Amino acid sequence: MEIGFTLLYQLILGFFATVAFAVYFYAPFDSIFASGVAGGLSWVLYYLVLNGFDNKIIGTFLGAFLVGVLGEYLAIKMKKPATVFITPGIVSLVPGAGMYYTMLYLVQKDYSQAVIAGSETFFVAAAIAIGIIVSTIFSRSLRHFKRKSG
Amino acid sequence: MNHFTIKSKYELKKLMKLAISTGETLLKNGAEAYRVEDTMERICNSRDNIFNVNSFVTQTGIFLTFEYENESYVDFKRVRNVTINLKRISEVNKFSRKFVCTNLSLDDGLKIMENINNMKVYSKMHKAISGAASAAFFTLMFGGNFRDFLSSFIVSYIVILILNVTNEFKLTFFIDNFLGAFLASIFAAISVEIGLGANLDKIIIGSIMYLVPGVAITNAIRDTMSGDSLSGLSKGMEAIFSALAIAFGVGVVLSVYMGGIF
Repeated sequence: MEIGFTLLYQLILGFFATVAFAVYFYAPFDSIFASGVAGGLSWVLYYLVLNGFDNKIIGTFLGAFLVGVLGEYLAIKMKKPATVFITPGIVSLVPGAGMYYTMLYLVQKDYSQAVIAGSETFFVAAAIAIGIIVSTIFSRSLRHFKRKSG
Repeated sequence: MNHFTIKSKYELKKLMKLAISTGETLLKNGAEAYRVEDTMERICNSRDNIFNVNSFVTQTGIFLTFEYENESYVDFKRVRNVTINLKRISEVNKFSRKFVCTNLSLDDGLKIMENINNMKVYSKMHKAISGAASAAFFTLMFGGNFRDFLSSFIVSYIVILILNVTNEFKLTFFIDNFLGAFLASIFAAISVEIGLGANLDKIIIGSIMYLVPGVAITNAIRDTMSGDSLSGLSKGMEAIFSALAIAFGVGVVLSVYMGGIF
């Protein structure tokens, strides 16, 4: 029960953060709610993987993948380019905290910790990109497959 | 298939202008390189007597060439100051689909593009409030408490208002990001000092989220992986230097604050 509340709380946080970012990026008004849902769901997935398996990079990859798939789906549904949904959706996964801690360790002259935080930050950024690319390829081949069979 | 043709050199120039302005609008508002190239090529290819359409797009410029009556035409455009405006990308996408499929005249096309470029979506106040709200929610997502939420909102709101003013001076992205991170860290430290905020790190992390070039890094890696290596490199360089600027901005304040001088 408590886990359910935590997840709901995180979903709401992710939703509002994404919605706020969608407005910040001047997203079209009718796409804001949908991209908020996509961003919220992907944040919850990331949160689950991070707390269940303690793996930031896999969590980020799965979150970005989910945003990508939802973005491609919404793109067809609402007749808008997928970027409109993906751009605000991935922002919650962006390693802003990693960058901050890298700098903090550097300032504190803790260079070995800084390298660990810095390389993790880089890999998280790469995981977002790979998640988006895989989801694009996935949904394109799915569409191709559907067209062939249907 | 449709059969629209270009009838004179005068029309040809308009087509060139239309394609370039479409590409410029897309690139300026944060579209990926392949989308810009694809859109420009589709617009030119929709006219039957235009051949060998080629476009080449990097983060800083657009090149377009095509052939008409055995003569080739080239044009290019330098693009500066890339910001993200999803509404414009969406509108240009809609327009290019319409242009390719229907017999829309070139003059109408140019007029629509002009409207898209002058379109106001949300005011600066909306942008400041939404940026501040996103920062506040990120502070909560990274484990801050309600006091951090409040101070993060106030800090980011002030920083975005200041950045709106400094944007008028057309400084480079490096200075903008440095200034944003620097001010956010200073105000965050002040809010902790006066007892409003509780966790300095959570407030700063939330308040730099809208500066962090996450989208640029992602697009850079995507461009590189899909073969647009030059665009990926230039975008990636910009992203890395934005990240460095933010890190410097935070680092300067942290080293002073943690050094006990503050």
